[in-house]
Amino acid sequence: MSSPAANGHLDHHHDHTTSTGIPNKKLLWWAFLASDCMFFGALISSHLVYRLNPPPGNAVPTQVFNIELTSFSTFILLMSSLLMALAVNAIQKGNVKSTRTMLLGTIFFGCIFLGGQVFEFTHFVADKHMTLSNSIFGSTFYTLTGTHGTHVAIGVLLLGMMYVRTFKPTHGGSLGRNFLHLLAFAAAAGVAFLFFVPGLLEVIEGESLRAMLSHDAKPLLLGAIACAALVWFARTSNPAVEFGEKNAIDVEAIGLYWHFVDIVWIIIFTAVYLLEYL
Amino acid sequence: MAKVITQSGFTGKEIAQPATTFSLFTRPTAKTGLVSWLTTVDHKKIGMLYGGFAILFFLIGGIEALMIRTQLMVPNNHFVSAQLYSELFTMHGTTMIFLAVMPLNAAFFNLLIPIQVGARDVAFPRLNSFSLWVWVVGAILLNVGWISHFVPSWNFGGAPDIGWFGYAPLTSKAFTPDLSTDFWVLGIQVLGVSSIVASLNFIVTIINLRAPGLTMMRLPVFTWMALVTSFLLVLALPAIAIALIMVMFDRNFGTNFFEVSGGGQPILWQHLFWVFGHPEVYILILPPMGYVSEILPTFARKPLFGYPIVVFSGVAIGFIGFGVWSHHMFTTGLGTVATAAFALATMAIAVPTGVKVFNWIGTLWGGRIVTRVPMMFALGFIWMFMMGGLSGIMHSAAPADAQQQDSYFVIAHFHYVLIGGATFALLAAIHFWFPKFFGRMVPEFWGKVSFWVIFAGFNATFFPMHFLGLNGMPRRTWTYDSNMGWNEGNLFATCGAYLLGLGMFTYFAVLVWSYFKGEKCGNDPWDARTLEWSIPSPPPEHNFAAIPTVHARDAWWYEKTHKEEIAQEKAAHIKAEESHGGIHMPDQSWYPLFAAAGLLVGAYNFAQLHYPVTMFGQQVLASHLPLAITGLGLMVAACYLWALEGPGGYHLHIDAEGKVTESRGDHH
Amino acid sequence: MSAPTAPALAAGHHEPSKFHFYIQIAMILAVITGIEVVLVYLPIVKWLVVTTLILLSTVKFMFVIFFFMHLRWDKVFCTILFFIGLVLASFTMFSLMKLFASDAAKPLTAAALDFARTTLG
Repeated sequence: MSSPAANGHLDHHHDHTTSTGIPNKKLLWWAFLASDCMFFGALISSHLVYRLNPPPGNAVPTQVFNIELTSFSTFILLMSSLLMALAVNAIQKGNVKSTRTMLLGTIFFGCIFLGGQVFEFTHFVADKHMTLSNSIFGSTFYTLTGTHGTHVAIGVLLLGMMYVRTFKPTHGGSLGRNFLHLLAFAAAAGVAFLFFVPGLLEVIEGESLRAMLSHDAKPLLLGAIACAALVWFARTSNPAVEFGEKNAIDVEAIGLYWHFVDIVWIIIFTAVYLLEYL
Repeated sequence: MAKVITQSGFTGKEIAQPATTFSLFTRPTAKTGLVSWLTTVDHKKIGMLYGGFAILFFLIGGIEALMIRTQLMVPNNHFVSAQLYSELFTMHGTTMIFLAVMPLNAAFFNLLIPIQVGARDVAFPRLNSFSLWVWVVGAILLNVGWISHFVPSWNFGGAPDIGWFGYAPLTSKAFTPDLSTDFWVLGIQVLGVSSIVASLNFIVTIINLRAPGLTMMRLPVFTWMALVTSFLLVLALPAIAIALIMVMFDRNFGTNFFEVSGGGQPILWQHLFWVFGHPEVYILILPPMGYVSEILPTFARKPLFGYPIVVFSGVAIGFIGFGVWSHHMFTTGLGTVATAAFALATMAIAVPTGVKVFNWIGTLWGGRIVTRVPMMFALGFIWMFMMGGLSGIMHSAAPADAQQQDSYFVIAHFHYVLIGGATFALLAAIHFWFPKFFGRMVPEFWGKVSFWVIFAGFNATFFPMHFLGLNGMPRRTWTYDSNMGWNEGNLFATCGAYLLGLGMFTYFAVLVWSYFKGEKCGNDPWDARTLEWSIPSPPPEHNFAAIPTVHARDAWWYEKTHKEEIAQEKAAHIKAEESHGGIHMPDQSWYPLFAAAGLLVGAYNFAQLHYPVTMFGQQVLASHLPLAITGLGLMVAACYLWALEGPGGYHLHIDAEGKVTESRGDHH
Repeated sequence: MSAPTAPALAAGHHEPSKFHFYIQIAMILAVITGIEVVLVYLPIVKWLVVTTLILLSTVKFMFVIFFFMHLRWDKVFCTILFFIGLVLASFTMFSLMKLFASDAAKPLTAAALDFARTTLG
């Protein structure tokens, strides 16, 4: 509601229109995250409870897990968190170009994480024969990590929406262009974590590059076109955008969500993966 | 600084030039008619919608109860089939809790909170509208099963019949293969989303939108209780959300969460359900305690006794309430340590509850009691709630509970706290605030008649159930033999139920009459204490001509006794606000409604995931999945457009005569 | 909501950039993750490893919420709000684990179930 001052930075820590000085959106998000703690708490509890007295015939985690890949994924998600913090930092200084780069970086690392999950799940089902329904470990593991993965995917979508938003021109808002830009983004991100990253991981694990390319030719082509479209949208956008320091609260809000998804993974990595190796 | 300017799109013209918004539809501006109700973001209209729906479902839940009581009137009765009976007691509980009491509380949250904190609306008006329409979606999903009884080709398997608490493994596909359970799961899940979103909104509103001078310890007790309730909702609902996901996955994807042969344990459902379920009962009762804490001082003509301790007790009840859930599971074999721990915690929670009762009595003591209708319901609340509390404390002793569990004694207990407690307080609140929001009084005589009939009918119905329970009558039983010694108790209770029904009918009929013909009233017919009584009845769109400055607890009482000081403050505030462009009001929007519609399509089809889609007897699709995804897509699109639309807003200007004009398009 | 606006803070509020600080935090987090992975393979007594893992995870958790999520520099009420949820979730998790780890909660084996049915009636 308050107009940004013509001179000097906005105070991003204090909103004088509210009783506490905390911006409404920030308060909303922190309250939501408190709720999400209970959500993941119940889910993680259920998984751990079923590890207390494993029934016969249950999947054996240490024989299923690929701890090197999961450690790599954890590192990736931490780095994405760093880039998110840098994106918020950039927009609080009004640097839109840097914000875009950092947002794209966060999304990129988020897609690598998701692609790693897709690869991991595919192999658990196909090679280790652990499915959602053939053991209690499978049920709890896939539901827990799948719910977390869904949260990450939603985060990637929100980040993409924010990225596209940074291109809104000051004059003549074109909803159609915005939609197409978002569509290109969604296509690129979807191909990235469903085909490109898992495919790359397959190649690292021994599959031949040629086989991977021919196997996933259509989606990869779609992804390449989508990426080209993203570059085109970025290059041809009007430099005068209606986005700046005043929008920092919205980037910060998405940042809170993204970081929370990261800290939930910190707990899942320890409680679900590492503890099994003892 | 130059960098900021060049990179922020600042063009060198006026600072706050309105940004063009991405809009697909023009912003709705209708103030009357259907569109105004569908697109409203006004907390008062949203409150009325919640209230209207809630009263409708309250009456439906009452009919379900009368059918249950009719079936139990005499032994070996066949008024309804056993299957229908299961649906009736399931839906009676589900309806009364989720579709009657909770939305009635939501109605009062919406109507009162912004005004009591001195704001013009909640923090996120469109989100508020979203909660309402999502609630409607949940209500539809829960009740769609009834259609099967009338149109057999809509094969939902009837209404849900697994009890309002849906214990596993009864909810598994093996035991209830019909769609009724799937609709129950999704209905409750959707209602959970509605409540969480609404609660987040109220938390931010109460903490961040308070008028100048309104410190937390000057808030009305009702607002405090609403804050605690909102915290309880956001922290308790996730547990049942997870449990419902597990049931849904077990039914649709073959997981083993509650499937013993796959390594699952059904007891986990009970734990997760009651981790939500126990805070839920405090969610039901804390707002009524808030209403009573406003009504008693008004009609005792003195301030609430021990305000800080009443507030603190409410917080304590909420907090301890998270640690007692297994008292619903004393007979499941938890082990001695666990049973003892939960028994002690349950006894502990009686302390802050008792403290509140003492403070209410302290409020009455030495006051000049005015026995108007709201006061009578409030006095009835104290007595009846206490009786329910006494049977509750009997439950907390685990050995005694071993006899009482799953018997009619429990039914007596929770109806005393929920009807004698929550419902009496709600009926008091409706009477008390009816003049404020409709500008008309409810006739005293008929109000009192309905009170006495309800009071007599309620006690006649539920007091005998204490004895029926201790004499062994189990819950959820379709019929009983004539040699059990339960015949007179049941007959008496059924007669009481019909009397209670008559009382409720009278109460609501009188309200309808009052809406059209009630005596018109001014802004403060009760000579009350809180800010909502300072504004006209019914309130204008913008609530306050000037945002008040609060100087003390019971802000309106202070205003009435310091008229000159307040008049000067008001004039200054009006001037200040006008110089900043006028009174800022939020714009209406279509998107909350559209997003809820998308959710309805998505959830309705997701429930029927593994069933083929048939139209006019022909199979059209192999599964409902594409339709479910379409619904999800519609919801996401609506939310995205909602975000792009932006908050918008317009300004109101009040001139010296009090005439209100609107202006749009200037800087926000 | 319509309180008169005061000019936004300009003087003395130009914070030094946190850019390098965030990078340092990220490096620390990466190192801690590495330590965690190595730790499980070391021949140390189990309870010590478990405790250390939990401790290290908690440290990572706190780093992210206080620095990346900015709680260190925000109003303390945001911290209180989040910790209410966190503490409650931890308490619930702890209680559920304790309840299911007790003897009374052990699922019966087939043999024990038969015994309970036939002998105990």
